[in-house]
Amino acid sequence: MYSGPVIDCDVHHARSTDAELIPYLSRGWREYVTDRGPAGNVPLTVQDGFPNPHGFMRADTYPKGGGEPGSDYPTMRDQLLAASDVRRAILTFGDDSHLAGHHNPYFAAELARAANDWSVDRWLSQDPRLFSSIMVGSQLPDVAAEEIRRHAANPRMVQAMLVDNPFNRGFGHPVFHPIYAAAEETGRPVAIHGGAGGWANPPSTGGGSVSTYFETHVLWPQAIQTHLVSFIAHGVFEKYPRLRIVLIEGGSAWIPSLLWRFDAEYKGLRREVPWLKRLPSEYFADHVWVTTQPLEVAPRKENVVELLRSMKLEDHLVYSSDYPHWDADEIEYLTARLPSEWHRRVFFGNACRLYDWKEEDIEHAGAVVEQTR
Amino acid sequence: MRVDVGAVSDFEDRRLRIVIAANHQVGVLRWRDRFYALHNRCPHQSGPVCLGIVSGRLSSEKPGSMEVDEETPVIACPWHGWEFELERGRALWDPSYAVKVVPVRVESDRVVLEVGKSAI
Repeated sequence: MYSGPVIDCDVHHARSTDAELIPYLSRGWREYVTDRGPAGNVPLTVQDGFPNPHGFMRADTYPKGGGEPGSDYPTMRDQLLAASDVRRAILTFGDDSHLAGHHNPYFAAELARAANDWSVDRWLSQDPRLFSSIMVGSQLPDVAAEEIRRHAANPRMVQAMLVDNPFNRGFGHPVFHPIYAAAEETGRPVAIHGGAGGWANPPSTGGGSVSTYFETHVLWPQAIQTHLVSFIAHGVFEKYPRLRIVLIEGGSAWIPSLLWRFDAEYKGLRREVPWLKRLPSEYFADHVWVTTQPLEVAPRKENVVELLRSMKLEDHLVYSSDYPHWDADEIEYLTARLPSEWHRRVFFGNACRLYDWKEEDIEHAGAVVEQTR
Repeated sequence: MRVDVGAVSDFEDRRLRIVIAANHQVGVLRWRDRFYALHNRCPHQSGPVCLGIVSGRLSSEKPGSMEVDEETPVIACPWHGWEFELERGRALWDPSYAVKVVPVRVESDRVVLEVGKSAI
């Protein structure tokens, strides 16, 4: 098993109840959501979605003292951070990751602000290994950009994160560009997490809606593919040449075939997008990172490795556990599935490039465990 | 081999004509006061590239803008739309990928090709 330093790029920290987040809302929004008599509070979580027959969480991640998986720092510390040499973990929220699925754009913007403050206050304060995504209410891109800038001075708020899609337009569409301007300006990558395209509305699948969680989970990469193609075709990387993006939980073995097709189509259809100066695969090479989980499972692991190698993805893959979700990938499992010469890059080095961190600063800092117990 | 393919006045501006020169199909284009010539064979799937549409090169300074460079004629292969600039036959997306061009010049109001001396 790989025993070197690890950066985990997808760790879901969650709140167990709405009550945890309500204190972080402004006074007016607190008034709006609370004390509605017998009707109860206005729910903070988007209500749509497909039920997973197993539940969405690994059964062993429920904290012993109660609450939702991912909601208890000591449980996460012991199960995830201490289980291997995790030097840094990127937090990616739980239910609040879907706040861009809210119909009310003002409510979503306020929830994003509150969720980010909650993340700083309740999580980053507990362990220096924790780093957080910045949730944005992409329904209001200008407000989302301001939210990114609000965290510019906090180096532990490391990326802007998009999940749900309020406009049913690929994320490369100019309506979203204020978000990317702010991300580039503040040096933050943009993370696009699986489920982007809509948890329920709009559907996250091409060609039509599906009926089961089984189907939607198989087709999880489709929305990620839409956004990747959209980013490149709209010239986002020409407009924001220092912007980096990371595709989370959308798989990776499909990337070579998509880029082969993308390059081939560009040769015939360049007239439509003359602002592109290079092949789509070249933009990918300079601007895109991809998380490992869920690594595709082929009958022979060499099949997947050969595909990944064909597009040099060993320099783009960043390790992600997806803790505490039911489909999380373990380090030991990935160690066996990926060539040993890739391990340090995938588990550590590539993430350092993504987040513009110096490997030596992290590696020589020493593991921080005892002071947090 | 030097091949005379006609008078300058035989060539309409911006209209590519295919001529037979030393058993080769060659597309000859008059673009304002300049002449271009290239083999009628796309390097992609051997399509008749010279049957494609000629236009000024579309360019863009930033996403969403669309300009035309009238100084740079390009041809789009009718089979798959791959575009090549006429000057050197190079694909717009990869200068190392090209249609073979044929040296062409005007001598005493005659258009003359040097077939067999491809630039590529």
